[in-house]
Amino acid sequence: MRQIEAIPARSTSAPEAPARGVLRRKAAWRSVLTSYSFILPIGIFGLLLLVYPVLYSLALSFRDATVETIVSGDMPFAGFSNYEQSLADPVFWQALENTVIFTFCSILFQFAIGFLLALFFQNRFPLKNVLIALLLVPWIIPVLTAANTFKGLFNEVGPINQIAHLLGIPTVPWLASPGFALAATIVANIWIGFPFNFILLYSGVCGVPPEIYEAARIDGASYWRRVGYITLPILKPVTVAVLMLGTIYTVKVFDLVFIMTGGGPANSSHLLSTYAYQVGFSIYNYGQASAIAMVIIAVILSLNLFQLFLQRR
Amino acid sequence: MPLKPPSGNFPLWRRFLVCSSIIVCLGAARAETTVEIVHYFNVPGQLDGLAGIQKDFEAANPDIKIKLTYIPFADLVKTTLQMAQVHKPPGISCIDNPDVRFVAKSGVLKDISASVAKFPTWQDTYPGPKHSVTEGEKVYGVPIGSNSLAIFSNKKMLSDAGITDPPKTWDELTEDAAKLTKSPVYGLVFSATNTEESTWQFEPFLWSNGGSLLDLNATPAKQALQLWVDLIQKGSVSKDCVNWNQGDVANQFISGQAAMMVMGPWMLGQVHKSGLDFEVTPIPVPKEGEKPIVPLGGEVWCVMKGDPKVEAAALKFIQFVQDPDRLENLCNTFNYISSVRSVAKKQGEANPELEPFVLQMDTARARPEEGGANYTKVSLAARTAIQQAITGQATVDAALAEAANKIKPLAAKK
Repeated sequence: MRQIEAIPARSTSAPEAPARGVLRRKAAWRSVLTSYSFILPIGIFGLLLLVYPVLYSLALSFRDATVETIVSGDMPFAGFSNYEQSLADPVFWQALENTVIFTFCSILFQFAIGFLLALFFQNRFPLKNVLIALLLVPWIIPVLTAANTFKGLFNEVGPINQIAHLLGIPTVPWLASPGFALAATIVANIWIGFPFNFILLYSGVCGVPPEIYEAARIDGASYWRRVGYITLPILKPVTVAVLMLGTIYTVKVFDLVFIMTGGGPANSSHLLSTYAYQVGFSIYNYGQASAIAMVIIAVILSLNLFQLFLQRR
Repeated sequence: MPLKPPSGNFPLWRRFLVCSSIIVCLGAARAETTVEIVHYFNVPGQLDGLAGIQKDFEAANPDIKIKLTYIPFADLVKTTLQMAQVHKPPGISCIDNPDVRFVAKSGVLKDISASVAKFPTWQDTYPGPKHSVTEGEKVYGVPIGSNSLAIFSNKKMLSDAGITDPPKTWDELTEDAAKLTKSPVYGLVFSATNTEESTWQFEPFLWSNGGSLLDLNATPAKQALQLWVDLIQKGSVSKDCVNWNQGDVANQFISGQAAMMVMGPWMLGQVHKSGLDFEVTPIPVPKEGEKPIVPLGGEVWCVMKGDPKVEAAALKFIQFVQDPDRLENLCNTFNYISSVRSVAKKQGEANPELEPFVLQMDTARARPEEGGANYTKVSLAARTAIQQAITGQATVDAALAEAANKIKPLAAKK
């Protein structure tokens, strides 16, 4: 009915058309304004709390910002000296290497565990929902609590070593040996992060239409073939999101390592984040700390670009 | 409804009264000065002590208000500087003593040498605490009180192991720690974590042996670090000490996982609360008869540059606290040793657990004596070496040589 009315109106009165167009444009303009007004608050917050600090930090990274200069406010321009100083410090390279290892291992295992669990929960069985809720616990527990618990578990005489001792496996002082401290923090981080991977992948898996599996099964495809040729390709968009968010979360991990090892022993488990903290708030070289923070951002961006590139291919 | 003219029920004399009372109030408000004190004290005893002093001071000086602001330990220096940067400095900042000269370098602290010279307690202040607040002729604060380190021993464990007296020398320490170690109990525990705490806990051994942070490549430093490494390699100290801060160390001792610990007086309250039977003795020295040299802890009242009125009021507050009785009271509630000799002596006589700390005060050393304003960087290099040697990542010699290399340019810059 409405369409029928609308058509003659549009076709007959030509002189009215511009006025209507203005009105419509006005209405469109208003709806655009309304839309923007909804994102205005987050936009302001974003500018003030995200964009401004990052830009300020970027500016600081090119200045000689220490306790003395930051109070007087002159902070002389220092060119790339903060970056040069960082690159010349072996601890920086150690921290960079650790960050890459930490991120890669964490993501790999978090994703694998999350994916296998998601597949497992495709089946129907009693208490399924209770189990799903329980699996989310590591993600809910505050990192402070989790980190201190793992610190206790990995203690030289803690439960992990006691079990290893009972099984006759040689024990190591996990957090107290430079060779194992990073590994221990990775294990803790995998535990904290796998539920995030699991729940996103599980929701993705739930969205796969069962008919496709059925058709494949009739064609005689084995279980793992179905996983490889149906589940994984359909999950691709979810996988991209999970890996991307996971990478961002993992590269910027700070609290977990800070509590468990403080970057020690002997700098062996420093991540870029804990190293930046040490430079900034232990010896108060704000300029150099900002430079390291910029490197962290660069690492996150480049890892994400790399992932996007892999996905495109 | 018609509006009544205000004068109808508001006679002239009343208006006059209102006006004048407003003026009086404004005048009073103007005469009142507020001194904000930023601090990181969060132990109940310390808070009670601060609140008590605040109450007494405000009662004695009705025109000055004290405002206490808590800031977490890690943020105090940063926040103090930020407040100064935006021209809203607090009246007083309670800065940890090794940081005072470092903060003073940024120019936000007021030189109060002329005023403190008039305090009778200043003449009687121990050299160590005095040194930590003095740069040349300038004085940047007055110590609230001091603390240091000593050995806490679990009496029952010692007597079970047939040890009558806690160790006095390094040899006895090594021997007793080994005797006291019975899985899962370790003989001794100290903190070697990746913070200032590990340098601080290492210093009593380094300094008592005649070593220096500025000379880590020398024999005394090597011997001191070797002592720690040996204790850990023999299993008398848990390898996990590289991740234990002093809170963790105290928990190990209180829960009976360690028979002895290196600890300061601020923990006395907590150890008492656990009901453990313990005693406190001075830090063991390399050879019998030598004097232990311990590092000084404790915070400093630092007057911040700002409104002269606030500065004067802040000084008045500091002077008020310097009354010997008040000082003794405050230090007792803090479980600190007064930096003033006569007051400290009285504290030691009254409390045997504080006595070892009081005895060590004469020789105690302020940490910035080594590295000055660069102390934090020196400390970072030193504790990296400590962790490397303890975890076997490097030999004692190699770790210390590397640290000495890093410290050399810092010491020169001083």
